[in-house]
Amino acid sequence: MQLDHRIPSGPLTEKWDRFRFETKLINPANKRKFEIIVVGAGLAGASASATLGELGYNVKTFCIQDSPRRGHSIAAQGGINAAKNYQNDGDSVWRLFYDTIKGGDFRAREANVYRLAQISNQIIDQCVAQGVPFAREYGGLLANRSFGGAQVSRTFYARGQTGQQLLLGAYSAMMRQVKAGKVTLHPRSEMMDLVVINGQARGIVTRNLITGAIESYAADAVVLATGGYGNAYYLSTNAMASNVTATWRAYKRGAAFANPCFVQIHPTCIPVHGTYQSKLTLMSESLRNDARVWVPARPGDKRPPAEIPEPERDYYLEKKYPSFGNLVPRDVASRNAKEQCDQGKGVGDTGLAVYLDFSEAINRLGEAAIRRKYGNLFHMYEKITGQDPVKEPMTIYPAVHYTMGGLWVDYHLMSTVPGLFVLGEANFSDHGANRLGASALMQGLADGYFVLPATISSHFAESALLPINTSHPAFTEAMDTTKGRIQRLLSINGTRTPDEFHRELGLLLWDHCGMARNEAGLTLALGRLPKLKKRFWQDLKVTGNGADLNQTLERAGRVADFIEFAEVMILDALSRQESCGCHFREESQTGEHEAKRMDDTYSHVSAWEYQGEAQTPKLHKEPLVFENIQLSQRSYK
Amino acid sequence: MSWILTILRSSIGKKYIMAVSGACLSFFLLSHLIGNSVSFLGKEAYNSYASHLHSIGFLTYILEPFLLFVFLVHILTGITLFIENLSARPNRYAVPGNERNWSASTMPYTGIIILTFLLVHLLNFHFITRTVSTAELVRTTLSNPFLASFYLFSLSGLTLHASHGFWSLFQSLGINHPKYNKFLQQGGLATAVIIGTIFILIPLLIVTTDSFLQ
Amino acid sequence: MTVIHLTLKIWRQTGPESKGSFKTYESGPLATAMSFLEMLDVLNERLILSGEEPVAFDHDCREGICGMCGAVINGKAHGPEKKTTLCQLHMRHFRDGDTLVIEPFRSRAFKLVKDLIVDRSAFDAIIAEGGYISVNTGGAPDANAIPVPAFTAEQALDAAECIGCGACVAACPNGSAMLFVGAKISHLSLLPQGQPERSKRALALVKKMDALGFGNCGNEQYCEKACPKGISISNIARLNREFMKAAFCSVEE
Repeated sequence: MQLDHRIPSGPLTEKWDRFRFETKLINPANKRKFEIIVVGAGLAGASASATLGELGYNVKTFCIQDSPRRGHSIAAQGGINAAKNYQNDGDSVWRLFYDTIKGGDFRAREANVYRLAQISNQIIDQCVAQGVPFAREYGGLLANRSFGGAQVSRTFYARGQTGQQLLLGAYSAMMRQVKAGKVTLHPRSEMMDLVVINGQARGIVTRNLITGAIESYAADAVVLATGGYGNAYYLSTNAMASNVTATWRAYKRGAAFANPCFVQIHPTCIPVHGTYQSKLTLMSESLRNDARVWVPARPGDKRPPAEIPEPERDYYLEKKYPSFGNLVPRDVASRNAKEQCDQGKGVGDTGLAVYLDFSEAINRLGEAAIRRKYGNLFHMYEKITGQDPVKEPMTIYPAVHYTMGGLWVDYHLMSTVPGLFVLGEANFSDHGANRLGASALMQGLADGYFVLPATISSHFAESALLPINTSHPAFTEAMDTTKGRIQRLLSINGTRTPDEFHRELGLLLWDHCGMARNEAGLTLALGRLPKLKKRFWQDLKVTGNGADLNQTLERAGRVADFIEFAEVMILDALSRQESCGCHFREESQTGEHEAKRMDDTYSHVSAWEYQGEAQTPKLHKEPLVFENIQLSQRSYK
Repeated sequence: MSWILTILRSSIGKKYIMAVSGACLSFFLLSHLIGNSVSFLGKEAYNSYASHLHSIGFLTYILEPFLLFVFLVHILTGITLFIENLSARPNRYAVPGNERNWSASTMPYTGIIILTFLLVHLLNFHFITRTVSTAELVRTTLSNPFLASFYLFSLSGLTLHASHGFWSLFQSLGINHPKYNKFLQQGGLATAVIIGTIFILIPLLIVTTDSFLQ
Repeated sequence: MTVIHLTLKIWRQTGPESKGSFKTYESGPLATAMSFLEMLDVLNERLILSGEEPVAFDHDCREGICGMCGAVINGKAHGPEKKTTLCQLHMRHFRDGDTLVIEPFRSRAFKLVKDLIVDRSAFDAIIAEGGYISVNTGGAPDANAIPVPAFTAEQALDAAECIGCGACVAACPNGSAMLFVGAKISHLSLLPQGQPERSKRALALVKKMDALGFGNCGNEQYCEKACPKGISISNIARLNREFMKAAFCSVEE
């Protein structure tokens, strides 16, 4: 396998222009001769479908939900970054580029990230034109806020539901193409396999979730926009249906999986409160602007927070990081919360939580002001926990939130399988080892609205695409494999539900491949996986049959893939012996317990290639070259 | 002009029809009320008002047919809506969980009560050969306890119908503004109650006192 | 940890054409911190192990924004709490020994798929008729080129918050979709960007809504009470206004 990043030559600032000039275009009249499959209808999938349809391609869009308006991009709260510099506070494309690279701890490609920063401005223009009701100043111009500790105000937002508004914009643009006949929707369809013919991605196999029918669709290119794999941990802030299946099956058909160990763990989530828990809810990190994080200074102190006097409280972030205090980046905040709980200083019933206390800000600014600022978040918190954060401090704990890893793609967003393009969270490309707040929405839309529509034409223009249809033997083979697998899941008839296995896997990953990792733990987890997999295939219980809506069967298929995928994730975490961004290897830390990068050895992208069932995947390395910026160690002291 | 039919047949078009005809009927109701109120001034005043009213040809030849037309439109559209809406929700819930919005959800039923009342009322006072003065006619007709109770019941139904209808007609015509909503909603309710009370007073006073219209 | 026990009467129906009925289950002990859907998860785990098919229900984000979940609990769409989706409804709002009657959203326009799952694709079909601003990617002017009053943007967002869950239709005795359509019309007609297609949009959306078998609005206001996002019926008034303007004052037909 060759990892050719296909980054255009020339100065960084001109690469994207140069690419668009040098790339071969498809005559407008010929675009209608090409069929494109888009899997997923979140921000990336919907925006890509809409734009490809507008250009004249024939698009088939698949999504797992009942409507394409429900992709999990909808849950993003904070906002979307852009280098508009509307606030005149010194922002620029270059600064957004630099912040994103630095935030990702120097593990992303310069060229991709620069392009992202360039495109960010067009995204905002496009969304406003679509009618996205961003927050405004009284004069009618767009409002911005500073987010995630950024020194400039570059985040555009629509209350606490920016993701929803952006997704509804992309969804409506796509629905316009549905009306125009350029996009055909296939809701409640789950991709089960990728069909590769002559080394090119030429179609997919799906399961119709209503009828259970296994169907196949042929096309000239396949676009995956299927999101991240955070649900491998069972508990995460992802939606219940978020899964790794589409990207995992593509991996098994030859697409390399890059940096799977880069998983962002968000510091401010509502803690776990019971074994029945199905998901974790994020509380926007904007809360940290006015709240202080603390734990009791004495381990095992179980007194209610109000009874713990000031001197017996440990404001550990403020103490440890005097200049950034409670506003340290996500990975640092998460790791420190874990460290405190590991020392027995955690609070709440489970001891796996820390306080997020607004009392100081309430004394300073008044309760009304704090409620005005965070009212909707307080309401949400109270709804879930039954506690009022004004009366007693919130309890929070980190939770799996976003996966920077994903299928490896080149500058064209094409994977190692020609004709297979990967967008949004499903690819690995722009966030390095850690994603900055308000950058996920930006990347999803950049990929879908602007990058893919420009790069896909060069694939069509430059590759020889033989006419094929679904009667090709490769389709029959993929359909048979899918049917066989479903039959196998149904016929085990054991004694444990898919969720039980999923919970077990989640716990294993959380304990050993979570916020802090070490060789012993990772090796132990790696050793347990084959046994878990074996038990899964021997003792699984799935009710009903395959010819019907069967949610247990759906879940079983996804859990089976998570179990397989976990191996690559752990292998990746083992092989990267440095700490960088969200990946904290305990062996690689500074004297002050901070993450220590090893640029000489690990300044590369790790891409894993499938080698067959029960074979260890092969690691390929794409070196990261930094020509325009100076690598530095992050410091928040 | 086919566009106008398309519009009036649409769901919102039918709302406009109900609202506009409802508004016309409200005006009629109001003028009827003013007329009825003359009865509080005494028998002579009331008789004189009635004979003046009946001598206005414009009312008999123009307004009455128009009123009939408006009634028919309101009733027929109402029935259409009722049938369409029943079939749009063919299955009811096992538990009726909503806190009932009584006036709104009984609109078709209070409508039927009002229609029945209308027919009886016309038979009592319109389609009869007159031998006595209006005041006497009113007095004797409503002295019948069955008829009086029927009037009381029906007029309560009318009040309920109007208490939703007044606000609803504004909402249907798109007249909804944060500054005036409270006024429209509460004003509509108050108007309905006031109108209903005054209407109800007449049979009530006839049954309970000996002196009214005597 | 407080624990309660509930009796659950759940609508079971294997498919759109089959006949459904209520089936009664004892919940077993439930932590009050559990969400309603987690309660169903626990029940389903038990059903799977006993070989019975679990209760099929739609859900995804479980944080009240995707609009996928929804059922009628004791006659109330999304349950008894105001401005709450089913996934954000917690067991602490019920009392030990309560009986919950759990039914799917019912309306002619939402065909039942299985158990508590209904087909809400009619909403997508309405949006496809014109619930958008027709701008191709790439041609947009600078985002600040057209100022939008802050209050107008807020009002538009109030309407745009709709999550398309269908509770308004489920709660309406007439199965009307006016709140959904009113919210979309309001969102786009309030913004300057939505002006060019304002009339066309109002006519097209209403036409489609009627064709899909939704009922008529009787201004009964149940939709507003059931809406998990608190979308106001002033949006329906605006729809009425927009439709009137489009019908009688524009050249669109």
